[in-house]
Amino acid sequence: MADITVTVNGATRTASAEVRKTLADFLRDDLDLTGTHVGCEHGVCGACTVILDGRPVRSCLMLAVQAAGHQVTTVEGLAPEGTLGPLQQALQDSHGFQCGFCTPGFLMQATALLDAHPEAGEQEVREALSGNLCRCSGYQSIIDGVLLAAERAKG
Amino acid sequence: MTTQISAPRYTGTSVKRSEDPRILTGAGRYVDDIKLPGMLHAAFVRSPLAHGRLLTVDTAAARELPGVVAVFTGAELDAMTVPGPDPLMAFVGLGAMMPSYGLLAVDKVRFVGDPVALVIATSRARAEDGCELVEVDYEDLPPVASAAVALDPGSTPVFDDLGGNVIVPPRRSELGDVAGAFAAADLVLDCHLDVHRHQNVPMEGRAIVVSPDQETGILTVYAATQSVQITRGGIAQRLALDPAKVRVLAGDIGGSFGLKSGATREEQAVAAAAYSLGRPVKWTEDRGEHLTASGQAREESFDVRAAASKDGDLLGLDVSMVIDTGAYQVAGLIVPPTIQMMLPGPYKLPALGFESTAVTTNKASYISYRGPWASETFVRERVLDLLAKDLGLDPLEFRLRNVAPRTSPPYTMLTGRPLIGVTTTESLERLAALVDLPAFRARQAAERARGRYLGVGVATFIEAAPGPRMPGGGMPGPLATETMRLRLAEDGTLTLFTGQMPHGQRHQTTLAQIAADEFGVPFEQVRVVVGDSDVVPAALTGGSRAATMAGGVTLHGARQLKVKVLDFAARLMEASASDLEIIDGSVMVRGDPDSAISVASVASQADADADLEVTATFDGGDSGWSGGSHCAVVEVDVETGLVKVERYVAVEDCGELINPAIVEGQIRGGVAQGIGAVLLERSAYDQDGNYQSATFMDYLLPTACEIPRIEIEHLQTVPLDADVNFRGVGEGGLIVSPPTVVNAIEDALAPFGVRIYEQHLPPARILELIAAGGAAPA
Repeated sequence: MADITVTVNGATRTASAEVRKTLADFLRDDLDLTGTHVGCEHGVCGACTVILDGRPVRSCLMLAVQAAGHQVTTVEGLAPEGTLGPLQQALQDSHGFQCGFCTPGFLMQATALLDAHPEAGEQEVREALSGNLCRCSGYQSIIDGVLLAAERAKG
Repeated sequence: MTTQISAPRYTGTSVKRSEDPRILTGAGRYVDDIKLPGMLHAAFVRSPLAHGRLLTVDTAAARELPGVVAVFTGAELDAMTVPGPDPLMAFVGLGAMMPSYGLLAVDKVRFVGDPVALVIATSRARAEDGCELVEVDYEDLPPVASAAVALDPGSTPVFDDLGGNVIVPPRRSELGDVAGAFAAADLVLDCHLDVHRHQNVPMEGRAIVVSPDQETGILTVYAATQSVQITRGGIAQRLALDPAKVRVLAGDIGGSFGLKSGATREEQAVAAAAYSLGRPVKWTEDRGEHLTASGQAREESFDVRAAASKDGDLLGLDVSMVIDTGAYQVAGLIVPPTIQMMLPGPYKLPALGFESTAVTTNKASYISYRGPWASETFVRERVLDLLAKDLGLDPLEFRLRNVAPRTSPPYTMLTGRPLIGVTTTESLERLAALVDLPAFRARQAAERARGRYLGVGVATFIEAAPGPRMPGGGMPGPLATETMRLRLAEDGTLTLFTGQMPHGQRHQTTLAQIAADEFGVPFEQVRVVVGDSDVVPAALTGGSRAATMAGGVTLHGARQLKVKVLDFAARLMEASASDLEIIDGSVMVRGDPDSAISVASVASQADADADLEVTATFDGGDSGWSGGSHCAVVEVDVETGLVKVERYVAVEDCGELINPAIVEGQIRGGVAQGIGAVLLERSAYDQDGNYQSATFMDYLLPTACEIPRIEIEHLQTVPLDADVNFRGVGEGGLIVSPPTVVNAIEDALAPFGVRIYEQHLPPARILELIAAGGAAPA
C-alpha cells in the first residue's frame, strides 16, 4: 500500500492504495469520484479519460502512484456543482449523448481539444475524438455539440 | 397532429432531456458506482477451452489467499440453485422450448469463457488473484466450432442430454404456390448468403450488486437491465425464492441493445453467492469477459432461391436457413420464426418456402441484438439487388414495382399480417429525389474513368413496432399490453410509474412530454419513476415497444387521471367537472382564468376518497408498422480495400414523433452499428473454437471518423389509431443499414464483376472479392 496525494479538481486529496491500482480505480474507489467511467481497461475506448497537467490521459493505463503530485481534472471538475459548463451545456442542447456511459471521456477529451484548438472545425473534432468510443449516438450529435461550444466561445 | 392530445406543446418537439444534467456532470449512478458497507467483489474463473470435460476444480489454494472469502464451483452452485431457462424467455412464456442449464460449468465446458468457478473476495483485484490460484484440469473434446460441424451427425454433442447438436431439426413450410412460382419464372436466382456473428457491445458491460438483508429476508439487486421485473423473476426462479422477497433496482444503464434483458448466468451466480454469504457482492465484467462471454448474435446462413418474371415481378422466395445458437440457449430459437414472418417485407410476395434448422455449437450464447431478426431484411434486400442486376433493372425501380400498394382492404403478407399504413413507396421515391440518382450515375461514371470506385445502395425495411393487430387476436402473453400507474402527488407532481427501463432512450423525457400535454401541467411538473420492481409494473424496454405501448398508456392514463382530478376539483370549486379544464398546471372554469387554482392546491386537499391515482392499460390500439428506406454512397479504395461511407440518407416513417432529436439519435445509432457490422465488427472464432475478438484491438467499433453525417427525413405518416400514432424506432437503423451498405459496395465494385453474398466486408475481404471477381476494370 502507498499513500498517494493528488490534486484533483483543485483540491489536494490523499488516500492509501495498492501500488498496482490504476488511476481510474483510485479516483472511483478511493476518492469516490465515480464520474470517471471504466469502459475497456486497455486504453481503447476513452471512457476513463481525465486531464492530467493539462493533457488528456487514459486513467486506466496509468497507475495511481504515477499521478502522485500531479494535477488531475475529472468530469466532476468541469463546472461548479449544480451547474453545467459551456461544453456540457452545448452537449445538452445538441442532444449529444444517450446512455451517458462514454460521456465523461468525451467531455474531457473535447475540453482538452478546445483548450488547445478553440477554432477546431468538424474534421479536426472528429479526428480528436476518434479515440473515444460511443455505441449509442453515431457521433454526429456529439460532434455538433462540441462545434456548438466552440462557436459560442467565439461570442 | 393526428394524436388527440388536448393541448400539444411538448410532444413533437426536441425537449431537452431531463436526464442530461446528471449524465453530463458525472453524477449518473451506474451499477459499478455503487458501494455498500461490507461489500465483497466477484470474479470468475473461465474456460480456456471451447469444449472439454471438467475433470477437477481445485479451489484449496484460492480459499487460502488472504482476502478471499469464498470460492464456488459449479457443483456447489448447482446445490444452491435450481435449473432454469433464460429469464426473458420464461417471462414471455417460451421457457419450455429452451433446454435449461446450470449457472457454472459442472462436468463440461462448452465455450471459451464458460464460467467454471466464482471467487468472492474483499476487492476485485483480490478476487482475480484468487482466480489465478484455482487449478482446473480439463480433457479436450473435439470442438464444434461451426454450424457445418454441428450438422455432422458424427460431431461430439455439446449437450450430452440433447443427443446431438441439431437442437431444432429442419422444419419446412410453404405459403402460396411455391412450385408453381418457380415453374413460371423467367429467372431463378440460386445463392448462399452468410450473416456473420457480431455483438451488442454497450459501453457499460454487465454489472450487478446483490445485497441480502438478514432481518427482512429481502434480496436487493442493483441491476443493469431492460426490465427490473424480468430480472427479479429470473433471480427468484434460480434461487427458489418468493419473487416478493427480491427487489430489483436500476439506475443509469450504459447501453444494452438487447443484451441486458433479464439476468445472465454470471449475474444469477453472483446473486446465489451473496444470498448464501449473507453479504453484499458486486460483479462488474471487464471488457475481455464482455466480448468473450456476454453473448453474440446474428450467425445465420441462408440457401436462397428467388423467382422473378422477365418484366421484373417478384414471384417467389424459397429460403432455407441454419442458425448457430452457440452453447447455452438464450434467444436464438425465437429468431427463425420471426425471420420467416418478416421475410416478405413490404413487398407483394405470392409464394414463400421456408425451412430453418438450429444448431448448438461451442460458442458464446446467441443473444438478442437490436432487431434480432434483421437477417431477413439483409437476405431480401440483397437478393432484390442481385435479381435486379440479372434482369437489367435499376434496383430502386425494381423495388418500387414490387412494393405492395396501400389498398383497402390492405394487402396481407403471406405470413399473416396486413401491410396497413406502410409508406415504402413514398420513402423510396423521396430517397431517389434526395440522392438524385441520375446525377450520381454520371458522377460515378466520370470517377470510374479516373480510377475511383463509387457505389450507391438502397434498401428498405418495415418493423413491427409493435405492428398491426394479427388477424384473430393480438400478441399473446405479458407483452400484449402495457400498464402504467399514474398519481397526482400531494405537491401537484404528476407521477408516472412505468416498467419501461430506459438505458439511453430517455423515457423520462418522452413520456413526460406526452403526460404534460395531455394532463395540462408544465413538463417540469411530471416525474417518471422507473427502475424499482416494488413500485413499477411489469414491462420490457425492447422490441421498439415503448413509443406505442408506453406512449399510448401514458396518453390514456393521463386522460383518465385528469377526469378523476377534475371530478374532485369540481367538488372543491362547486362547479361542474365538465366545465373545468387544466391549463399549465391550473384547474379553471373554461374561459375564466380568474377561477384558476393550482393543481398542487387541488392535490393537497385530496382526501382518501379522492384517490387521485389510476392504473391504465393499453393494448397498442390500431397500431402499424415503422419503416423506411435508406441509401448509402460509398467509395471503395481498390488498392487497400478500405470503404468510406461518403453519404448516408434515411427516409423514415415511425409515425408521429414524440421528440425528434431522440428519434434521430436512435436512427443514427442503429445505422452506425450497421456500418460497423459490415466494415469492422466480427465475433470471430477459429476452427478450434478459440475466440479471436476479445479486445477492442480485435473487435473493432466504428469511431467518429468512420461514421458520416446521417441525413434523416421523416415522412408524413398514415394515421391508423384515433389516439396513438407513435411507433417504435429503436431497431430499424441496424436492421436496414447492413444491406444498404453492402448493396452500395457491390455497386462500386461492379466493374470488377464482383457479386457479394456475405455481410462482413473488411478491407482484406474486399481485396479478395476484387481478385476473385475475374474482371479487369473497364
